[in-house]
Amino acid sequence: MTKRGVFFDGDRPEGVPVTLSLPASANQLRMTPAEGDDIDWPIDQIRRIPDHAGTHDTMLRITSDPLARLYVPQLADLPRWPHIDRADPPKGRGRLALWAAGAVAAVAIQIGVLIPILADQLAVVIPRQAEHALGEATFQQIRNALGSDAIGPLGLCENPAGVAALTAMSDRLSATLPDAADINVFVLDHPMINAFALPGGFVVFFRGLIDAAETPEEVAAVFAHEMGHVVGRDPTRNALRSAGSIGVLGLLFGDFAGGAVVLFLTERLIDAQYSQAAETGADTFAYDVLERAEISPAALGDMFQRLRDEHGDQSGVLAHFLTHPTLSDRIDRARAAAPDDVTWQPVLTPAQWNDLQNICD
Amino acid sequence: MGSPATIHSPDDGVLRVGWTGARGSVFRLALITGFWSVLTLGFYRFWMKTRLRRYFWSSIRPGGHPLEYVGDPWEKLLGFFIAVVILTFYIGIVNLLLMFVSFSLFDGNFAGYLASVAGVVPLWFYARYRARRYVLGRTRWRGVRFALEPGAWGYALRALGHWALTLFSAGILWPRMTFYLEKYRTDRTWFGSARLHQGGTWLMLYRAAIPLGVTLASTALWALWISVLDPILPALSVGWQDVLTNVRITTSALADLQIVSPWRLWLLFPIFFGLIYSLIHYAYVSRRIMACHKTADGIAFASALRPLRIASILTFGNILAYFILSIGVALIMVLMVPLIGFEVLQDMAGIEEDLVFDLPRWFSIGGAVLLYFGIFLLWSVMHATFVTFPLMRHMAETLTLPQAEGLLRISQRDRDDFAEAEGFSEALDLGAAI
Repeated sequence: MTKRGVFFDGDRPEGVPVTLSLPASANQLRMTPAEGDDIDWPIDQIRRIPDHAGTHDTMLRITSDPLARLYVPQLADLPRWPHIDRADPPKGRGRLALWAAGAVAAVAIQIGVLIPILADQLAVVIPRQAEHALGEATFQQIRNALGSDAIGPLGLCENPAGVAALTAMSDRLSATLPDAADINVFVLDHPMINAFALPGGFVVFFRGLIDAAETPEEVAAVFAHEMGHVVGRDPTRNALRSAGSIGVLGLLFGDFAGGAVVLFLTERLIDAQYSQAAETGADTFAYDVLERAEISPAALGDMFQRLRDEHGDQSGVLAHFLTHPTLSDRIDRARAAAPDDVTWQPVLTPAQWNDLQNICD
Repeated sequence: MGSPATIHSPDDGVLRVGWTGARGSVFRLALITGFWSVLTLGFYRFWMKTRLRRYFWSSIRPGGHPLEYVGDPWEKLLGFFIAVVILTFYIGIVNLLLMFVSFSLFDGNFAGYLASVAGVVPLWFYARYRARRYVLGRTRWRGVRFALEPGAWGYALRALGHWALTLFSAGILWPRMTFYLEKYRTDRTWFGSARLHQGGTWLMLYRAAIPLGVTLASTALWALWISVLDPILPALSVGWQDVLTNVRITTSALADLQIVSPWRLWLLFPIFFGLIYSLIHYAYVSRRIMACHKTADGIAFASALRPLRIASILTFGNILAYFILSIGVALIMVLMVPLIGFEVLQDMAGIEEDLVFDLPRWFSIGGAVLLYFGIFLLWSVMHATFVTFPLMRHMAETLTLPQAEGLLRISQRDRDDFAEAEGFSEALDLGAAI
């Protein structure tokens, strides 16, 4: 039986029917057309086109000519050559590595330098109204992310007595601020031990933090710390940064992991890792506010201390102020910030504290 | 050289396009490459796309010989990096500024999103054209290259203009846009030394829009019927006089609501399906009409694709894909329970429990990411198997070249060597289509 193929010379879209043979002497595949000269392909240069649809036929090429092709209707006509599926040696890898490094550098510069610089500039000049709108949008986004599709966004704790107690605490702290910053405080019905601040004066507690606190002063201390972030406009910077970063990271991962990136960034908003300076600033601000409100700044240290005793330094579920590496320093500083010769006033009455603890009921 | 017999079918001189792909092979290939894509956090997707294209291309057999896709995954990766370098500055800074302006001026982020999308639209058309140029430039048949001439900005500009015209004419000039954009692309398409030409006029595409026109007209008639002619809620009906004098509907009118022939609301279903079908009909029949008017020197095309068949592929393919996807997701959830624990799943579903403490949060995030990737993998496999495969098969099998003697005069053309491959389209998420 003659073995048949169709040869394409890589110049014209016309197949030349050829008879295939394997001369015993040479290591070659010989193609004999009806008229004209034979074409010889060295067997060690013959490759098969990969991912070919069709079980009986195949398309062959030769490494020395990028264009010529040999179509073989019956693959079984050919012996199984070992080199037939070998890949070509890589080329242009240096250029690829260069651009890969360029892409990584571009994203790093963008996310690490340019967006933060721009966000810092914008955070200072953003109108108060706009900051508030930004905070509202972010808050809704976080509630949606933590909520479920079936039930809707994560619920707020709005027991009136508890809200009144929280407002009393908020008023007591706000009264010490020079200009009447408007603070909106909310409690989310979630067991996470955390609190965070959002642009436009939003301070948000998770139920878990109120449950974990033993005295209202500890809640007030965390409150004051978050107020420090609000006044320092740290959350505004953060939200603006993530607005820029979402676009860049979405670009990088494409629709393949775009959703995961958004999830990750929402996570980042709650678990905001502010700079060390911003944390220290918020702490210092908190001591000052607490002292002027006649609440012991040591309460912040107490809160940190107990949470660390209970959950350890590295526990992932703990709030951002716990994962900070210099926690011991902060506990010490908080205690040092409390003068000995002052008598402190309780921030809430026992009844109010009871109301606050039951705010989610 | 080759006799005409190798080019034409022996009987009638018509060159037919065959198909040799097998659904099982597509499924296997998509599953394996998709799995690797997930394992490599998406980087294998360039290989996935290349390999699937190679398979689909070699399934299409004009005159019995396969098309060949010679695109290289490494060049796609390079193109992607190039696009990232160029686009990252644009997207990041522009996004941030738009958000800022949007919140400052409009008190919300909606305007920002809108502007952000609007800013990307020209880029989107640009990227579409570039991607087509790349794919055509990497397609060969019988060893000869296809090509699309450069002209992406011209295309983006025209696309914007045509879209504006279409919107201003309330859709009446839509066929004009369809025709001229396709003509722009076709007239720049080459096979070897032969240039394609799009003949005909835009008016011929109104034939494809007949079902759409009929559906829209009957929707309007139906709306008129239930609201004015024989109101379904007579108490609420407002005559033209009332509209003109701006009469308010009082709450007392709402109290004695009387519903007349509510069965007419069921007509919404045929209307909905009619709209979907007529859109598919327009998209594909206009393609068929234009295909029949494409020529090159001594070459003519004819397509006999059947819109009903296409609509059923799209409908049943997507329904089947979603069905299997939902079974798969349920299965993944069940499998994940012993692996990561019930608590994490509950946490992911947003059900609040007091036990999130025990597991670090990255763990539940990891679970969510895994689930997300799993869904992505299943979806791309199902879509390739039940939508792309039958669609390409139908398109190939209904295409013929009634006149093909011009092939004898064609010779090879130079390689179109552009660095960024389809990087822009990949980065802007336009790459989902094969």
